[in-house]
Amino acid sequence: MLMIAGVIVAVILFGIGLLGMIFRRDLIIKLLSLGLVNGSVMLCLVSLGSRADGIAPIIRGPGNADYVNPLPQALVLSAIVINFAILALALVFVMLLVEHYHSTDSQRIEHEIKREREL
Amino acid sequence: MIVLLVLLSLLPVLAAFALSRRRRFTVIVGMGLFSLILSAVYLLLHAPDVAVTEVAINAALITFIYIIAIRKTGKLVVVSDEIPGLLYREGQQISGLEKEILSGFARQLGLELVIRFLPVEQVPTALQQGEADIGAGGIISEIDDNTVLKTQGYLPTALYHLSKQTKPHPKQEQSTVTGFFSDLREEFQAGKISACTLDLARFVALSRSDLSPYTVRRLDGLFSYVFLVAPAQEQLHHQFVSYLSELEESGELDKLTRRYFS
Amino acid sequence: MRHRRIGLSIYAIILVCCFCGLVIALFSYQEPTGQLGAIYLSRAPSETGAANIVTAIYLNYRLYDTLFEILIFSVAVLGVRFYLSDYREKEIVEKIPESQIVRTSADLFFPPIFLIGIYLTLSGHLSPGGGFSGGVVAGTALLLCAVALGANTVGKRFYEPTLRWLEWGVLLVVLSLPLLPIVVGRLPFTGLLPPGTMGKVISGGSIPIYNLLIGIKVFIGTWVIIHYFMRHRGEV
Repeated sequence: MLMIAGVIVAVILFGIGLLGMIFRRDLIIKLLSLGLVNGSVMLCLVSLGSRADGIAPIIRGPGNADYVNPLPQALVLSAIVINFAILALALVFVMLLVEHYHSTDSQRIEHEIKREREL
Repeated sequence: MIVLLVLLSLLPVLAAFALSRRRRFTVIVGMGLFSLILSAVYLLLHAPDVAVTEVAINAALITFIYIIAIRKTGKLVVVSDEIPGLLYREGQQISGLEKEILSGFARQLGLELVIRFLPVEQVPTALQQGEADIGAGGIISEIDDNTVLKTQGYLPTALYHLSKQTKPHPKQEQSTVTGFFSDLREEFQAGKISACTLDLARFVALSRSDLSPYTVRRLDGLFSYVFLVAPAQEQLHHQFVSYLSELEESGELDKLTRRYFS
Repeated sequence: MRHRRIGLSIYAIILVCCFCGLVIALFSYQEPTGQLGAIYLSRAPSETGAANIVTAIYLNYRLYDTLFEILIFSVAVLGVRFYLSDYREKEIVEKIPESQIVRTSADLFFPPIFLIGIYLTLSGHLSPGGGFSGGVVAGTALLLCAVALGANTVGKRFYEPTLRWLEWGVLLVVLSLPLLPIVVGRLPFTGLLPPGTMGKVISGGSIPIYNLLIGIKVFIGTWVIIHYFMRHRGEV
């Protein structure tokens, strides 16, 4: 039940992020949408590994308690850091584009590039 | 459990709301809030490690880096006379049709808009000397000044010639406007001006005062308002021209015009 | 223009369908009880000595993944440094008048936030946290200082060449540490230190060492990114 709810929300978030990435023209907002897609995938993985009656995978004493699956969490942890690294680099590229074309509008930048090619 | 479901259902609403905003700052802060709620969801899904990392990286650091990155890096300096309807002070704020156009253009370039008020005859000089980037304030397309760059006309207008009935001075027949418009208006009200050529916006602003001693004649020909761009800024000129034509095509310009000149 | 939008929306719908299909596939392939996770849960406490199983997985069983993750982070920091040093510096750095509230709160909050960062780094094997989040939290404390005092003022307190050597030195140590067991005649990527008793501060084999090194690395990397962004985009 919990798992299903988390996965459904993740799919909806994936769709929203994808639409934002395609239809918003501002490059910064495109990057934010990319972050949203990333977050939705992470939410999907974490909620696939979780259980309603589970407890966090930190061992407190001997014996088998109902720990949730720790493997997806370890994977997601790496994904968050890599997301940050990619984002910082992408933001630098956007800043360089803005420096050259004075705009964060993707279509305007495409027009400018086309015009430069023609010259 | 119920808290978790409420937070989960809040996530898509917040994401859709944030990503559909127009201002980038609102989008960024909205997505920061989204990350905060997402980390609460991770905590309730028994993933404290992920929650801590998410709140440290996504909610705090990434939001901040975005806010630094969208900071405006330069200024777009505009020199202009103060013309009612086109560009005028309203209390602490500046508003008007040209202000709307220029602030949209500045937002697109990621520049901060700075408006300085100058008498109309000093505007081309300021542009030539590189003190300003764009000249505005009801400049007529007929301006015979080849030292600055002109954009296309964005709004049709008309020229009116005013002269006193009693003494027609042939010398002052062609006298154009000089000085601040607010000074000119005071002089008009004091009756010191005998003849003058005015454009539509200035004429409309003046017609509120008593114009009975003058004969008004509309000059023949098609005129429109233009912007001036500093001669050194050819790329800026090109961008401004394409911005204006885009504005015209999308119908945004009509909307703005109707707001100020209904 | 219109055709392009329609095409893009069809593309978006197809991608969402693919994602749904992937999720369904994940559901069907998942073991009913999450057996791999159960194996980690039953074996990790005795094998690694770490109470936090997530840390045990990504710093012991899947250390190989984590090393490349650190490498990606380093390359990103390198990229930010490389591309932003060509970028023109902001000519007029307008000093926004420093607000007393910001300065006082920076003085007040810098020590506790920095301490929380160090705590998260060093107790990664016992409680939630670890090198990545601890390093970022410590970097955020420095960010608070940079907002209050100005990035360049804070930057002067670090000697830049030392920082660079420390950054790359730590990376070298992190990357060569897994190969150290070869020296004593064991396989690489196996534990070098004894696991110790679970729950004690000194336990978990070499996990605390990795956490500390990763924390330093991420802290420096975060500071470099913040510093370069603030230097070229102006103070906030």
